Amino acid sequence: MIHSLLDRAYLACVWIAGLSIFCMSIIIPWGIFSRYVLGTGSQWPEPVSILFMVMFTFFGAAAGVRASTHISVEMITDRVSPALKKIAGHLVNLFMIVLSLFMVIWGAKLCLGTMQQTVPDLPWMPVGITYLPVPLGGLMTLLFVLERTFFGAQTHRKVINIDPEIKEDAN
Amino acid sequence: MDAFILLGSFAFLIVIGVPVAYSLGISAIVGALWMDIPIDAIMIQIAAGVNKFSLLAIPFFVLAGAIMAEGGMSRRLVAFASVLVGFIRGGLSLVNILASTFFGAISGSSVADTASIGSVLIPEMEKKGYPREFATAVTVSGSVQAILIPPSHNAVLYSLATGGSVSISALFIAGVLPGLLLGFTLILLCLYIAKKRNFPKGDPIPMKEALRLSAEALWGLMTMVIILGGILSGIFTATESAAIAVVWAFFVTMFIYRDYKWSDLPKLVHRVVKTVSIVMILIGFAAAFGYILTLMQVPQQITEGLAALSDNKYVILFAINILLLALGTLMDMAPLILILTPMLMPIVKTMGIDPVHFGMIMMVNLSIGLLTPPVGALLFVGSAVGKVSIEKLVRALFPFFGVLLFVLTMVTYVPALSLWLPGVMLGK
Repeated sequence: MIHSLLDRAYLACVWIAGLSIFCMSIIIPWGIFSRYVLGTGSQWPEPVSILFMVMFTFFGAAAGVRASTHISVEMITDRVSPALKKIAGHLVNLFMIVLSLFMVIWGAKLCLGTMQQTVPDLPWMPVGITYLPVPLGGLMTLLFVLERTFFGAQTHRKVINIDPEIKEDAN
Repeated sequence: MDAFILLGSFAFLIVIGVPVAYSLGISAIVGALWMDIPIDAIMIQIAAGVNKFSLLAIPFFVLAGAIMAEGGMSRRLVAFASVLVGFIRGGLSLVNILASTFFGAISGSSVADTASIGSVLIPEMEKKGYPREFATAVTVSGSVQAILIPPSHNAVLYSLATGGSVSISALFIAGVLPGLLLGFTLILLCLYIAKKRNFPKGDPIPMKEALRLSAEALWGLMTMVIILGGILSGIFTATESAAIAVVWAFFVTMFIYRDYKWSDLPKLVHRVVKTVSIVMILIGFAAAFGYILTLMQVPQQITEGLAALSDNKYVILFAINILLLALGTLMDMAPLILILTPMLMPIVKTMGIDPVHFGMIMMVNLSIGLLTPPVGALLFVGSAVGKVSIEKLVRALFPFFGVLLFVLTMVTYVPALSLWLPGVMLGK
């Protein structure tokens, strides 16, 4: 029950991030097109695509926490006794909870504190809104870490494990 | 003491297995608490760290690379390379390296390079009598070219880590000659091994077929012309060129080649999301970490420490190379670029080393780290794609490490290799 709800939350994160990168890939070329072909160099493509990139970053990274794709050093924890490894695992979860709480609380503070300012090239857009992905992504991360703390890693789940044979990396 | 708190807590978190990105964030908070800096400042740094237009280039280049690798562009580059060098003795190993040169010129993803070219060529090489581990070793070491030859998202990361003081275009142009030198030296090595072990020649491809394969590959290679031409002529910025690369790769794959299923696209995006967002958030947390690092004056201390070692810049560069090689065996490229660049930039500038040149040293050096145990991204992907054990692969890689160290030495001690071409093309 919890897991299937979190499966949906995971897919939502991936969709938000995926649609963000899709929108970015349309907006930037549109900016170039309007500059050279229409001759109306508009100001909005740049800040709007940055907004999408921030969404991509924080929701995508939250999904990465559930999928365990984040870069981490495992060679030491892989070589210690199982008991010690378990303790290290709990500590990792604890620190991840602390950091996601930081993202939620201080991220929300940042949003509230900048609600009165507007983005320079987008007079209708409060700066606070553009930072919303930070606390929201933090909240998603928190949910995924809590799930891992109580039920163990979920990387085997069907929604995550789309190609089991290769572990990927961004380099 | 300040530095000990920051770096010590970071090291502790890494060792127990907290992901590098989050370790940076937590230790930045610890550092801020220790120095009585309000934690709000950390959040501001994180938000500002990811709020940069030039950053967009990174997801774009990786997405473009993924489309090219999975959508059949890399397969056509392999075919084109076999037209050019397949008939020579050891042909397939040369094809492998040359295909990576081409792939590197349209994408900066060495992992995508290994995964896509390896899955085509390793089975084929084995069929023709090359040992599997040799085929895999050729693939992974050839893939390093992708990091050096423009476009390269790692160069974008470095430019960002210098605080934007080094332009992305200068780094792109600077990577051309080191990348080609690597490709050329690898080809020489393969020619030598092929002769010694009597590897087979490939059949020459008939003229008509060769022309067709070349024409198909040209669609892909146009990406390079668009990216570099666009940047050099000033028609668009590096970030914009990355977006154009995505659109072009998509267009060629879906409308010219037409052998990629539309229904596979969501999966491709899912993979890109999982792999790129973790680098992006790393950038945010590294910004906060770097901020505390600077407040604690750690870079100055490093500068003083290294300057006390010697006042000869070549000795300093040697020491830095050893440091980078050691750290590179343990950690991935992206976090090291983001963490070490701000720490080392002051000493680099004090010693009169051009930051563009230093960027190239870092790229070559850290790419070697991708091939070395215990932690090496290319090693892992190569062993999965080639279905060889890490131990066997590492043993097969030994002569290739020699080539990589040779290129590293050349790039380190011959600054012109990195600086001549940008000087000519960008006039600085």
